[in-house]
Amino acid sequence: MESRLLVVVGGGVAGTAAAIEAARAGVRVTLFDENPIAASMARLNVPQFFGQRFAGDIHDRPLMIERVRTANEALAEAEATGVDVQLGTCVWGAFRNSESSRMLDGPQLGLADDERSWLVKYDRLIVAAGARDLGIGFAGWHLAGAMGANGAHLLMNRYQALNAQRMVVMGSGNLGLNTARMALDRGVDVAAVVDLSCSVRGDARLSSQLRDAGVPLYESHTVMEAIGADGDIESVVVVEIDANGEPVAGTEKALAADTVCLAIGLVPNVELLSLLGCDLRFEPELGGYVPDLDEWMRTSVDTVFVAGDAAGFHDGMVLDSEIARTQGRLAGVAAAESLGAIDRDQALARRADLQAESFDSTRGEAYSNWASWLQSLLTAGGPGALVCPCEGVTCAELVGLQPPRHLNWDSERTSQRSLSALAKDAPADPDQVKRLTRAGMGHCQGRLCREQVSMLLAEESGSAIAAVPFMSYRPPVRPLPLRVLWAHEETEQVRRDWPKWFSPTSPVLG
Amino acid sequence: MPMDSADVVVIGGGVSGLTSAYFLAKAGRDVVVVEKGIVGGEASGRNGGMVSERVDEPALIPMAVEAIKIWATLDAELGYPTEFTQQGRLQVAVTEPEMGDLYAERDEAMRHGLRAEMVDPSQIRDMIPGITDRTLGGLFFANGGHANSQLTVQALAWAFQDLGGRLYQSTAVTGLRVVDGRVTSVETTAGDIAADMVVGAAGPQTTLMTQLVGVHVPVAPARVEILATAPLEPLFDIALVGNGLYGRQAASGNLLFGGGAHEWTDVGLTAHPDKPNTPLIRNIARRLADLLPGAADVPVIRSWAGVVEQAPDYMPIIDILECPSNYVVVTASAHGFGIAPATGKAVSDLVLYGETDIDIGALRLSRFAGYGPDWREQRGWTPAPLRY
Repeated sequence: MESRLLVVVGGGVAGTAAAIEAARAGVRVTLFDENPIAASMARLNVPQFFGQRFAGDIHDRPLMIERVRTANEALAEAEATGVDVQLGTCVWGAFRNSESSRMLDGPQLGLADDERSWLVKYDRLIVAAGARDLGIGFAGWHLAGAMGANGAHLLMNRYQALNAQRMVVMGSGNLGLNTARMALDRGVDVAAVVDLSCSVRGDARLSSQLRDAGVPLYESHTVMEAIGADGDIESVVVVEIDANGEPVAGTEKALAADTVCLAIGLVPNVELLSLLGCDLRFEPELGGYVPDLDEWMRTSVDTVFVAGDAAGFHDGMVLDSEIARTQGRLAGVAAAESLGAIDRDQALARRADLQAESFDSTRGEAYSNWASWLQSLLTAGGPGALVCPCEGVTCAELVGLQPPRHLNWDSERTSQRSLSALAKDAPADPDQVKRLTRAGMGHCQGRLCREQVSMLLAEESGSAIAAVPFMSYRPPVRPLPLRVLWAHEETEQVRRDWPKWFSPTSPVLG
Repeated sequence: MPMDSADVVVIGGGVSGLTSAYFLAKAGRDVVVVEKGIVGGEASGRNGGMVSERVDEPALIPMAVEAIKIWATLDAELGYPTEFTQQGRLQVAVTEPEMGDLYAERDEAMRHGLRAEMVDPSQIRDMIPGITDRTLGGLFFANGGHANSQLTVQALAWAFQDLGGRLYQSTAVTGLRVVDGRVTSVETTAGDIAADMVVGAAGPQTTLMTQLVGVHVPVAPARVEILATAPLEPLFDIALVGNGLYGRQAASGNLLFGGGAHEWTDVGLTAHPDKPNTPLIRNIARRLADLLPGAADVPVIRSWAGVVEQAPDYMPIIDILECPSNYVVVTASAHGFGIAPATGKAVSDLVLYGETDIDIGALRLSRFAGYGPDWREQRGWTPAPLRY
């Protein structure tokens, strides 16, 4: 099996900064970035909420690779510094021995491109996997054209392949305002920025720029539904809300738009950290579960470091990329030091330099804003909205803990079951809810519904959101076709020894 | 003061413990189930959902046949869906030795009067659209089927509660108090529960659990893995075994297939096992794409691993201990899901009457009389040394 000394996952600001820092310290670095991703994955809304709003260009791999390469100048700098940059390569698994599985010959990553998958061993790992779109459901969000801010950013910036004419942005703050500005810059008409609060949140200069450009900012408003024909959004109905968050009758407005962009929040990508058993903790200011890190960006697993949005995202980071860059450099220094490329004093000196650079670390409580949106969308649109669009589970079905609709099961007994009743039997467990309702079992691998399920679970069980356990991730954390996941290098020995089931002749792994 | 007391305390909310608890509650007993995690949290909710007549283990056939009778009406009985479907089970051979095994199993099935017939490759292609052309033949069991293991454990748990049973999840057993040769109380992380009878359905924790009362029940925990694909249009409703895999297409359209080498592991009474992650899913994916080339483009979206237990002869154990004399031990050796309804009946009979009409002759604990505490080392059934 191939072996790499230091692997960086992610070629954004933090990942490239980490790779360059470590390479300058003399470490051989390999950087994997999944972009450009296969169109088949984008269709499944992985890793971002793309809402089918990608242009046909996305099928042109060479063109996409060129665009991804030129979108972040630091990638060229990394290559010039000696970093082995591999684009279009996703990391779908991270494996490490534990009490329950001991077969591995050292820690390794599962990688894949469009055609095949393979495994790579590593000595040190820096995860700079970014953040993903937060999904919050409303009527019509399963239609093509409902998408997320990071999905839109990726398509606009790295792929230049956003196929949208007129966009409604849900959520202000720097995330929403920046999304609107970016869309305007790329010739997309912005029909509205909608926010629950009575005055637009986020950078004042940015909001006045948008006002000057004639973008309507709907304060104290929420979204009732997206309306479409033939599976495509054609308009978005917004409504004013009163001080209690209740929709004001008669204030409904249908805005013509083919795209509605959820810019309410981003969630750190901790899938790989979770697979590796790194300690995670719930941090509402940083977008949910984030890794426990020491002052060197090192996780509880001492060979694994994290930088950038994956370490925790807050709205202040949208306009200030220095935060992610500094974290990346620090992780790069720490990884280099742990590999013996630089000594402790050098590492400490570099860290002192980095920390001297001040950066804005304004944080706000993200989850309360998310919960307000969930509540508001449910109030305005009703409980028939889908929580899990992949599996078609509505909010009412989730809260009622109803069996999957395809079973056509209707009985008095099941109708007496509910999320709140389940919570009386045992502490709230989102994995149990997933088993019973299928919310989170879909092809997006639960990315669009996890936070909603946890918030509804907290609400229905009367527990704090922080008390709801982490919903586990399982490999592959990218949906890979059987023919790609396929173990092409499987040996004759493995084939010969493959057992039918437990039997006296069964081989044992390890 | 005990926090609760019951006629029967069932240790373990897996499928064997829950079926036992359900039948006991149905018989009017006051029953408590204690589960350290959620119901079916390990192998009972993470298995392939296969229900078969177990012709591969002839001594289990009577139980398996009894179980299938109960499965047939289980949804209606429980009032909750298990997703059980009985369109048969097909084993296909892709090599000559496997064909030989199928003929041998067919003969075994005939001896037991089971409905089994050989099918040829073209019949197989009709039964399983998209299957490989490389099959040499198959053996079809008309009575086989499959169910959704996660829905099944919850259906059992709820039906048990509907009968007045009490279920304590996130509650681990820490000790068993024995007085005059009988367990009088089950000590848990939530408090003590006084008991007249105890059913130990502790799965992989069985050896540790019976150690608390000084009895050695030899089982070794092992990890096995399954993957799930994105949903496909309905292709087949038959439980399928072949090319080193077993699996099914669920009602939701997802393909769920598992197989491959197991790995011996250790478990604790109160701790939850680490979630194991291994690259074995790539080998499973390869076999599944080989078996169903028509599905090679479907994405794999999930995988899971469960910890099962194995007795030295790969067979379940169902018995009343001699001492303490009010403890029924049940452990299924990775056969638990399909035969669970019969297991529950047998255990419930043992608790109620001290005996059962179901043939459990081959499942008595006495067959392991010679097994000492070091049997796993002697067999080589111990976990590999842990190297990070």
